[in-house]
Amino acid sequence: MEKIIEIKNVYKTFTENGKELVAIDHVDLEIPRNQFTVLIGPSGCGKTTLLNMIAGFEKPTSGEILLKNKPVQQPGPDRGYVFQDYALFPWQTVIGNVAFGLRHNGFSKEEAEKKAWEYIDLVNLRGFEDAYPHILSGGMKQRVAIARALAYDPDVLLMDEPFGALDAQTRKHMQKELVNIIQKAKKTVVFVTHSVIEAVYLADLVVVMTARPGKVKGTIKINLPRNRSYVENDYLHYREQILDILEEEVEKGFV
Amino acid sequence: MLFPAPTQTVIKLVNLFKKGLPVRSELITHILSTLKRLTLGFLLGVTSGILFGTMMGLSNLMYYFFNPFISILMPIPGIALAPLFIIWFGFGDPTIITLGALSTFFPIVYSTSAGIRSVDRQMIRAAQTMGANPLQIIYEVYIPWSAAYIFNGVKLGLARGWMTIIAVEFVAASNWGLGYMIWNATEYLQADTVYGGILVMILIFILLEKTLVSGLEQKTVAKWGMITQK
Amino acid sequence: MKGYINLQSLPAPSTLVDKFWQLAVINGSLWKHFFNSLYRLIIGYTLAAVIGTLTGALLAQNETLKTIFEPTFNILMSVPTIAWIPIFLITLGLGDKTVITAIFLSSYFSIMYNTMRGIEMVDKSIVRAARMMGLNRLELFFNVLLPASLVSIINGFRLAIGYAWRALVGGELLAALIVWGLGKMVYQARYFNDAAVMLVGLLVIGFTGFCLDQIFLITIEKNTVEKWGMSQKK
Repeated sequence: MEKIIEIKNVYKTFTENGKELVAIDHVDLEIPRNQFTVLIGPSGCGKTTLLNMIAGFEKPTSGEILLKNKPVQQPGPDRGYVFQDYALFPWQTVIGNVAFGLRHNGFSKEEAEKKAWEYIDLVNLRGFEDAYPHILSGGMKQRVAIARALAYDPDVLLMDEPFGALDAQTRKHMQKELVNIIQKAKKTVVFVTHSVIEAVYLADLVVVMTARPGKVKGTIKINLPRNRSYVENDYLHYREQILDILEEEVEKGFV
Repeated sequence: MLFPAPTQTVIKLVNLFKKGLPVRSELITHILSTLKRLTLGFLLGVTSGILFGTMMGLSNLMYYFFNPFISILMPIPGIALAPLFIIWFGFGDPTIITLGALSTFFPIVYSTSAGIRSVDRQMIRAAQTMGANPLQIIYEVYIPWSAAYIFNGVKLGLARGWMTIIAVEFVAASNWGLGYMIWNATEYLQADTVYGGILVMILIFILLEKTLVSGLEQKTVAKWGMITQK
Repeated sequence: MKGYINLQSLPAPSTLVDKFWQLAVINGSLWKHFFNSLYRLIIGYTLAAVIGTLTGALLAQNETLKTIFEPTFNILMSVPTIAWIPIFLITLGLGDKTVITAIFLSSYFSIMYNTMRGIEMVDKSIVRAARMMGLNRLELFFNVLLPASLVSIINGFRLAIGYAWRALVGGELLAALIVWGLGKMVYQARYFNDAAVMLVGLLVIGFTGFCLDQIFLITIEKNTVEKWGMSQKK
């Protein structure tokens, strides 16, 4: 499998109240291209920090991250990012939000809007293009966020627990939608979650991280076809596997 | 005599309106004089306030340096500065307009910098990751986000500006202005003119607030569902 | 018409320090001005505080009274202090009474309104919980309503002291019979063309106003962040 992101010996510390905390303790990882990779681990394991370093929001204390063989220095349009609380611009309509990235990457206003339409269709929000975010439901807002992140055709889509703020029903629905969207858009996705159910449903590859300081505990390839069922045997088998690995780590968090 | 009946006040206002016609209405000349000073002072105060507030909001250095000055100067009512400005600029327009601008300036700087400093970091990251450069981020994220704060500042600035200009006119105007008219009447114990002038003053303020600020607010901040912070 | 500052009237910082020393230490007149101002402030503000909290609490709990008085209050509240002063000058005279009344009026509404709203906005479930435990009206007020609305009430006090201070300075300036007071000190200095005295006075006005505000701000923070974990973080 071809790799698109290389995380090489990354070590990351934070200083809080004078003390130095190790968030990530020497992680080596390869993210495969055009696959759905899920980072999972107990709270505080550094999975979001890792994602943010790929995004360029944080820098590794040592080690490096390569995207298509070039080191990641700053945030940029070769990556798309979907936040847990959407981060939509409330002063822009849906189409304004989706077109934002396009406008800042060489598209004229008209061209940007035309392209934005494609992505609004992709996430099934036709009819809401002129609405302002504050009237939309959580699931709809997240769809706008996804459309916005995909519209300028980044190499990688980074998602930080995007469905964490949604209720259980909407969450399941969005998981299915996301699979459809990614199948159509054909992107590399790096997805952070702490829900095993979500991970096994969405992933081609699951990376399990340890409790803080975060390391990669193991990787599991999910060999299930798309349109998975949450209750079939193979699915449950993977779930058990990952839960076992995780349980150890979660226990550590309670000590 | 001290508490004239409302009818008396209205009659006096009508008389003042008619006085001086057909050349010019005395009442209207007073009002226009004050409005002119308000317009200039307000525009000056708003532009400088937003600019300065934005700079302070974006730069921690500037914020911590200027914040003490602003905190000390803001509680000084504009009218208290009038004697000083009279020494510097003399009577009339320069003093009145400058103090009007100043009293508008402070609430706006305060709110604008607070708004800019409150910007949700995630929105900035979202914009960065989509390829916006720092200047674009200021224009496309910081400013719209702070709009709610800025509007509150502008509302307060308008109120302060209007009140300060009238108050400064009490002491610094020599011939025209609503404040001058009211003060002159006060010194001569002409209660009906005093009440009449105050009535006009309040009415004009309500009018200004409803049309200018609220109107603009509806089209922007309210439409975006962004709550006005206090 | 001259539009530029008469540079001779821009005193150097050293001049200001000298002048401050002269006024504060040598002839002590600064203190006389200061305490006269403070005296008026305390009278007007305390009256407003007491009457404001009482009326606010009353209106919050009594619907009928509220419907009767609310319209009038809304109108009166929106009249700015500067509008009252000429009226008071004509009706109450040119001395202390006018200034103190102006201070009272400008602070009263802030305190009354914030007290009223604070009590109204107390979580109904808390009130019900207390009722279930058998508290009567008075106990409920002192043990539940008051602590729960404390932040809002103190915020009202904070806003009010700002208005009061402005009303004080403006009033002193305009009331002809007043001789001692910070506002008057600044005003009178014009007759001697003494910008230094003015600036000293203005800085004292600004600084005192700032300190008064800080007193309440710190009180708010102590009562929220420290005590009950209610964060007022921006």
